[in-house]
Amino acid sequence: MFITLLAGALLNGIVTGMVYAMLGIGLSLILGLLNIPNFAQGVLYAIGGYFLFSIGQALFGFWVGVLIAPFGVAAVGGLIEYVGVRRLYGVHPDYILLLTFGLALVFTELMILIWGPVGITVFPPKLLTGGVNLGVTFYPKYRLAIMGLTIALVFGVWLFVEKTKYGAIIRAGIEDRDMVNALGINIHRVFTVTFAAGAGLAGLAGALIAPIQGLHPSMGIVILPFAFVVVVVGGLGSIPGAILGGLLVGVVQSVMTIIWTPGADIVVFAAMALVLLLRPQGLLGKR
Amino acid sequence: MERLTRRHVIHLGATAATAATVAMPAFLRAQSNPVVMLGVWPFTGGLADSGPHLDNGMKLAIEEWGGEVIGRPIKYITRDSETRAGAVTRRVEEAIDSEQVKFVIGPWSSGVALAVAEVARRRKVFHYFSGGTEDISGKRCHRYSFQWAASPYTAAHIVVDEYMKRHPEAKRWYLFVWDYAFGWSVEKYIKIAGKPHHIDFVGTDRMPVGTRESSGFLTKAAASQPDVLCLVTAVQDFIIQVREAHNFGLAPKTAIVQPWGLGVEELAHIDVQYRQNLWTGTNGYYANPNPIADTFTEAHQKKFGLPPGYAAVAAYGMTRLVLRAIERAKSAEPADVVRAFEGWETEDWPGKVRVNAETHQTERNYFFLRCKAKDEMQHPHDYSEVVALRSTPLMPAEFNECKGLGSF
Amino acid sequence: MNLNTHAGTRLFPQMTGLVIALVVLPVVMRPIIAADICVFAIAAMALNLIFGYTGMLSFGQATFFGVGAYVGGLLLIHVTQNLYLALLIGTCAGALTAAVVGYLCIQRVGIYFIMLTFAFNQLFYFIAFKWTTLTGGDDGLPGVPRPPVALASLEFTLDSSLKYYTFVAIAFFLLFYVMKRIVESPLGMICQSIRENPDRAAAVGYNVQLYRWVVFTIAGAFTGFAGVLYAMMYGIVPVEAIFWITSGDIVFMVLIGGIGNLYGPLVGAMVLRWLSETLSVMWNRWPLLSGLFFIIVVLFLRGGCVEILERLREAWGKLELRRKEASYGIAADREAD
Repeated sequence: MFITLLAGALLNGIVTGMVYAMLGIGLSLILGLLNIPNFAQGVLYAIGGYFLFSIGQALFGFWVGVLIAPFGVAAVGGLIEYVGVRRLYGVHPDYILLLTFGLALVFTELMILIWGPVGITVFPPKLLTGGVNLGVTFYPKYRLAIMGLTIALVFGVWLFVEKTKYGAIIRAGIEDRDMVNALGINIHRVFTVTFAAGAGLAGLAGALIAPIQGLHPSMGIVILPFAFVVVVVGGLGSIPGAILGGLLVGVVQSVMTIIWTPGADIVVFAAMALVLLLRPQGLLGKR
Repeated sequence: MERLTRRHVIHLGATAATAATVAMPAFLRAQSNPVVMLGVWPFTGGLADSGPHLDNGMKLAIEEWGGEVIGRPIKYITRDSETRAGAVTRRVEEAIDSEQVKFVIGPWSSGVALAVAEVARRRKVFHYFSGGTEDISGKRCHRYSFQWAASPYTAAHIVVDEYMKRHPEAKRWYLFVWDYAFGWSVEKYIKIAGKPHHIDFVGTDRMPVGTRESSGFLTKAAASQPDVLCLVTAVQDFIIQVREAHNFGLAPKTAIVQPWGLGVEELAHIDVQYRQNLWTGTNGYYANPNPIADTFTEAHQKKFGLPPGYAAVAAYGMTRLVLRAIERAKSAEPADVVRAFEGWETEDWPGKVRVNAETHQTERNYFFLRCKAKDEMQHPHDYSEVVALRSTPLMPAEFNECKGLGSF
Repeated sequence: MNLNTHAGTRLFPQMTGLVIALVVLPVVMRPIIAADICVFAIAAMALNLIFGYTGMLSFGQATFFGVGAYVGGLLLIHVTQNLYLALLIGTCAGALTAAVVGYLCIQRVGIYFIMLTFAFNQLFYFIAFKWTTLTGGDDGLPGVPRPPVALASLEFTLDSSLKYYTFVAIAFFLLFYVMKRIVESPLGMICQSIRENPDRAAAVGYNVQLYRWVVFTIAGAFTGFAGVLYAMMYGIVPVEAIFWITSGDIVFMVLIGGIGNLYGPLVGAMVLRWLSETLSVMWNRWPLLSGLFFIIVVLFLRGGCVEILERLREAWGKLELRRKEASYGIAADREAD
């Protein structure tokens, strides 16, 4: 019986963990390259979910929605960088943080204005409703699908950043921004694209988790601290770090829920503080 | 000296402007003498789904009354409780200050209700609340607050006794509990009610309102192989939990019992396939055999296309009783209305109603419902069969934590 | 950013301006809101000390605000009716928490520092949220009384909002004076030099970490004090008091008011609460406007309202000068010779 429990908890942890990882990769890229903790990452995640609802549920179906929503959020992210963040590069970095915080509040209100204050239920595609007997435990199809999808996507992102030329530019930028600029690459464009990509990943995470958790205007505010834990634990600017961080946070939360429920969230933030103190670059970070 | 003068002018100018903006409404209001009633409803936050229903219910009650009581116009205002104690305290105080509110109905969340009850006590305004916490008529009772919902003691006993009557072998119960005042009271009495049936409460998981991620809890519950999954939760959380319970293979094999729910307002959002083996208790189901309830159901259906659920009914029922009490007392002063309420025995939406003078708890009917299968439903909103409707057992004195209502 | 390097600022040469503002406030706003402003102004002053003057952006001040509120609230409910004792212990609780948390946080700088303060804030929030038997969890801690103030042999009750405001305003005024002295003291100067260039400050011989820690602790004390006042204000300690959005609100106020300026925090608290009061009754989505205002301040007006007022003053001054020149014309020229 305990095996069933543990198996279920692990699976749950991996599912939420992979979603956290995706959210965290986005945040980590932005943090690594632009050196800003993007306090708007949470609401971008939420907007992804809402876009899925509007495009997917209301109009073209789940699959189309899941495809388009992240790009929509990426566009929002790019716009934020171009119109807002860019103005503040010369000024103290604290102000960029504050800008993103202000955006988090503004977007939360916009979400209430556009989609209403009431929680919205998003339905998974017909294909993926119901559950499957895995032998050791019974598990919902949709969650298994997300697990597979996120692993593939995250691997794809990692491939992109590790193996492509553009990815190399991003990695170089994270290591030494000025050098990249000196080499003649338009670092500002890289920034915009990276911010957009980070936002897009958050949006995708939000869209994928929407059928499991439903949508709520405050979901951005609630998830943000957890995104930070992922990035801090995993390591700023490190994609494998974000994956590791995400999985750790997801699994720890999930397992704690079955052992000592009140402790689930407390342990997560205690771990964040511990990592910051003992190994601030995170488990897999470089700086 | 010059600098001081200039700065002074800006300062005084701004002050005068703001003072005028603040004073104007007061001047305009001085013309009539309305009875001001405040509906504190959640328009944002964890229970926001219920906000509009509550608003509708109270509006309908006032409309039905002709918008006037004891010859004075009724002024209905609302404030968003946000389901947050801090925000609601500020808002209610502000409404009392700027609109001279004398009657506060709501909020919806039991936790926030404790905050509003504090304000009501301090500011001496009439406060009527409907919710699952026993504290309003218990630990935190005072002269100005009243509880419309049935006592959780009564509700829990009706739910457990009636379910066990039909399923005496269902001895293993697993509880999901909303981790605040409402959840604690209902959980406490479910366990007390379960004792004589020798129910084994194999697990209890507490979770905050707004827990959308219930997979961990469901996995835990499944591992204990319960006969009943008892959800002491409501609205979105409840809806998601029911659905996920099916997805995780727990339901419909395992029965789901929701001791304190919203009825129509939740069931309308749950697909019929997920309503198999679903049993709910509520203070307000529209299939209530009395003329007042029928009239309200008709009016609500006509205006909103849906029969009312607990939220709409609660707001309606509370407002009606307050208006009736004002007429009875021939006064809109909170203290007089309080006296009119205490010990009152009458018939209203819930059927026979009695307001306990020592605790301000309303003794009234509570519903236990069984969700119907698709082929049993006679019309699209025929969600449930009323399996039991009664007002007993009443909470015995030994559970009563109200140490005295105090004075005015 | 405004540098407050001399005793007395350009904008408000005397404390009388402050006194006038405090007297007028409860007339212009409801007394309970005026009290709310003063309470948060105290917390904002504390943040201003560590952010405006020492360059440490703490996104976790709600930790100490909440600790002060819960400790003070619990004391008043269960232990004592002595107002001064509750305030003292609440303040000490805030200071102690800040000393511990601060010691850990200052081990890092920049974004790491910010995220550490944020992480600790969340840690304390979840502890408060889950420890329902102590704090009431999400329901909050109700029933906090307002005991009377004892002064000499007299006792003043605080049962009305106006009376409570008077008490809070006096507290604010006294604390403002203390903050002014701190900021204008050598400690304040050193902090500003640390903000400008920590390495140089260290090179000159100052123990940068020690100053940072001391200042963080002082800020924690102020914030804890504010927390106790908050608990008594509405008679309840809601869990939002310790949530990260409250930390954000405090940052909000400092920014909007005018960072690095002594009067900024009060102005910021006034503006934010005034917006909240007037707008929230008209439009439920008013935080959208205050959020937008905040963004505008961050993008274009980083000096906050103080900067806006300064610019207005300058503009007025230029206008006055031109008016004088126009009317006196030749005479002014002759005087200049």
